[in-house]
Amino acid sequence: MTCDAVRKLIPLYYYGELTPEEEDQAEAHIHDCAGCARQMEAARSLAAALDRRRMEAPAALLDDCRVDLAAAVRGLGTHSSRRPWRLWLEAVEATLAGFARWRQPLGAVALIAIGFFAARLIPAGSGVSAPSLAPSEAVFVNVRSAQPDSAGRVRIAYDETRRREISGAIGNREIQGLLLAAAHEEDDPGVRVESVGLLKDQAGSSEVRDALLNALLHDSNPGVRLKALEGLKPVAAEAPVRGALSQALQFDDNDAVRMQAVDLLTMRRDNAMVGVLQNLVQKEDNGYVRLKCEKALKEMNASIGTF
Amino acid sequence: MQEAAGSAGARVNPDVDSLVRAAQRGDQDAFEQLVRAYDQSVLRLAMNLLRSAEDARDVYQEAFLRVYRNLHSFRFDCSFHTWLYRIVTNICLDQLRRRKVRKEEPAVVETAEGVLDRMEGFEEESAMANPERVTWNRQLGRRIDGALEELTPRERMVFELRHYQGLRLRNIGEVLGTSEEAAKNCFFRATQKMRTLLGDLV
Repeated sequence: MTCDAVRKLIPLYYYGELTPEEEDQAEAHIHDCAGCARQMEAARSLAAALDRRRMEAPAALLDDCRVDLAAAVRGLGTHSSRRPWRLWLEAVEATLAGFARWRQPLGAVALIAIGFFAARLIPAGSGVSAPSLAPSEAVFVNVRSAQPDSAGRVRIAYDETRRREISGAIGNREIQGLLLAAAHEEDDPGVRVESVGLLKDQAGSSEVRDALLNALLHDSNPGVRLKALEGLKPVAAEAPVRGALSQALQFDDNDAVRMQAVDLLTMRRDNAMVGVLQNLVQKEDNGYVRLKCEKALKEMNASIGTF
Repeated sequence: MQEAAGSAGARVNPDVDSLVRAAQRGDQDAFEQLVRAYDQSVLRLAMNLLRSAEDARDVYQEAFLRVYRNLHSFRFDCSFHTWLYRIVTNICLDQLRRRKVRKEEPAVVETAEGVLDRMEGFEEESAMANPERVTWNRQLGRRIDGALEELTPRERMVFELRHYQGLRLRNIGEVLGTSEEAAKNCFFRATQKMRTLLGDLV
């Protein structure tokens, strides 16, 4: 065997991946060749250096992974402890399904109006400059009354709503103003989910933050509350936000909202939360939330129960 | 059960097989035991390859959820370990490829406890040693990380599985859906690159 041939085999020899015949030949050559013996030694040193870059996963990370997986697997089987993103999807699907049903005409004489917020909020001729304003053909009518008159004809009274569309950057004041208004659109959870979802990256603005806090604490739709939570994540360290998160964690009836809230609240150590967490360990039904509370308490060296 | 996890290529392992069958029937405890038998090595593989706790956590979650959803389709035509590692290596390879495209590599390792210097192991070990030694170790560590990043995702994977995870090249071929010969060639290329890049250090 030549030196070239042996040097090609050295890595495989070191890792015990040669056939017995190849191994014999390599060994015989290395025994008699100082140059190849040095190459073999270099392969050993390299492997030893590489060994020192071996990483072990921290035990806490493994624990976290197991808790997450358990929650996710439980979520696949039962409704009560699904992972937030799944619950969010369901909330949105349910909302949109309801929205779609709602848009159907309810009867032969009544066309139900879908009052698109833009039409009501932009005064005629206000000339929104940055976004392009383009009236569409869609006109929605809301029949208020339909009665026969004395001449044997039918008299119908209806409201008319004309749909308009505008488009512009999320940072545009007009667009943001409309989104903030839409986040309060009482009759339409679909619009609220969409608007809060679009606003969630703008939590740096105090107006948007207030709208997100308001949505988290007061919106009746869990999809909207989850979107608000997403938006509050970057500002989760701020006192008013932590207060709202604590409220949501304690009183929200939706598992996914509480799961998200506990994740955000326990991202950082906060001794002021000990009482709330201890209380939750006792009364919380959701296993994921309970485990996260227990874990946070352990990290703060606080006792798990209130006793 | 740790032994079960280590017996990479074994096609027959009564303990694991019975756990898999029980989990296929919907036994949640059996599924949890299976996870616990393998999850440490899965997480270690992901951590070593991706050098990010957050990414490793994503790999863990995605891999075991895929196992959970698809366990019913596992037909014992390879060992459970091989099947699991096929899933894990596919997810990790996707991540590595995406990273190659973005040319991103975390400079430090993030863990749940905070940001961990990738050199920490070296420095801890060398705490009592002289400053020159600490500096040399730091340089060596950086050079090794740099060299590992020069490998293609597939070379990196084969090297990781052979050097750090101790799998035989035959099993690595099986996991990656290729022949032992192809795995051997890939491993050879990886070691050559490492030698070229680090030869002056050893």
